[in-house]
Amino acid sequence: MTERTKARLRVAALVVAAFLVQATVASDLRVDHVAPDLMLVVAICAGLTGGARQGVLIGFSAGLLADLYLTDTPVGLSALILCMVGYAVGTLRENVLPEGWLLTPVLALVASGAGIVAFVAIGDIVGQTQLVAMGRSGLIRTTVIEAVWSAVLAVPVAWLFARAERGSAGAAALDRGRPDRLGMR
Amino acid sequence: MAVYRRSNRTRTLFVVLVLVAITLVTIDARSSGSGLLGRLRGDVHDGLSPVQRATHHALQPLGDFLSGATHYGSLRAENQRLRQQVAAMQATSVSAAAEQQEAERIIAAAHLPFLGAIPNLQARVIDRGSSNFQNTVTIDKGSANGLVVGQPVVAAGVGSAPGGLVGNIGSVSKRTATVDLLTDPSFVVGVTLDPLNTGTAEGIGAGNPLRITVITTNQPPPKVTKGAALVTSGLQGEAYPPGIPVGTVASAVTAPGSQEPTITLKPLVDLAQLDIVTVELWSPQTGS
Repeated sequence: MTERTKARLRVAALVVAAFLVQATVASDLRVDHVAPDLMLVVAICAGLTGGARQGVLIGFSAGLLADLYLTDTPVGLSALILCMVGYAVGTLRENVLPEGWLLTPVLALVASGAGIVAFVAIGDIVGQTQLVAMGRSGLIRTTVIEAVWSAVLAVPVAWLFARAERGSAGAAALDRGRPDRLGMR
Repeated sequence: MAVYRRSNRTRTLFVVLVLVAITLVTIDARSSGSGLLGRLRGDVHDGLSPVQRATHHALQPLGDFLSGATHYGSLRAENQRLRQQVAAMQATSVSAAAEQQEAERIIAAAHLPFLGAIPNLQARVIDRGSSNFQNTVTIDKGSANGLVVGQPVVAAGVGSAPGGLVGNIGSVSKRTATVDLLTDPSFVVGVTLDPLNTGTAEGIGAGNPLRITVITTNQPPPKVTKGAALVTSGLQGEAYPPGIPVGTVASAVTAPGSQEPTITLKPLVDLAQLDIVTVELWSPQTGS
């Protein structure tokens, strides 16, 4: 088995582990009724540490797993949004964003907020009107709290991704704020 | 050149996966959650239920702590208010005793025997729903226990608080079921406002009271007071039997020039602390 295959298996195991944590643990960790969305964090961190290609693949897979667990929204909606988030984060990271230790939490905060807004907006377009029923203030509150959750969780998750892809050297480089040089190509 | 080719391949992959996702959304929306994808979802829920059962009990204290921490300000204000109330009651013990008796009568009157003769089944909550856009809980009973979509779910209150409606069965797999809570935006239930008038209570999201739309069947317009307990109307075609307490009136304001009040309803059961629930094995078709 090549090193590249091993790295891919480690990343796949990480995604499945994140799904199990999301489906069993995350719903009990609510702040003002809002739980973290670990699958969104996974898509963001995949794009951050592995670039656009990995962001697309992991985002789609993580979203599909989340879709199988959710009951009120159609299968494919989370896959669509997380695929877009992973691609956007990966593309931005490769081409635009500067290096720095604050990058991971700030990017997670912004990308998470954008992802939630996209989820609600596209969901509403495809007939999921229950997503907007909580009103503007409820949506803002949910988006802000979930984005903060993502910013907090993104730091350890990105570290795990970097480690899964390139071992301890990857995690050390992520600490120095240079995740884009480490991703699987 | 190589970088350009790689970027182009990534873009193609992105477009293909977006199209796959849109196709899945279309197929699932058209099949209304049934079919292969629906069955797959049921299997995933069944497979995860043992792990959920174990982790939910282990992590419930941490969840309760987080919930309490976010409401620290209101809890402190509530604590202060109760201290003042106790001091006032001690100063006027005679009138306090009378008030207590009255409170007990009100509680006794509100504690309706809403289960009646309807067969029921107790279930334990094993997950509180991982999405922030659906207000559901997962319980450890499913179709193998006789549960079907639409059955009412109720729960007892904590301490002296009366119990009441929690929601209904939204989806069922073999060993688990998802309960759509009454705060979920898809939830609607008919309620009795007074002997002459009914309305519908709709959920508008977790942490928010239910919004009531008055369906005035008779004049005069309904008069409800803050704190009054409302129960399910159980009219013909309703999805719930009559007499289940739904909540207490949180606000009832009649705007100038309007005949009908704007009413909000606070659920009787603390939905954030659900543990044991009771499913009424009742269907609107048979009435039992």
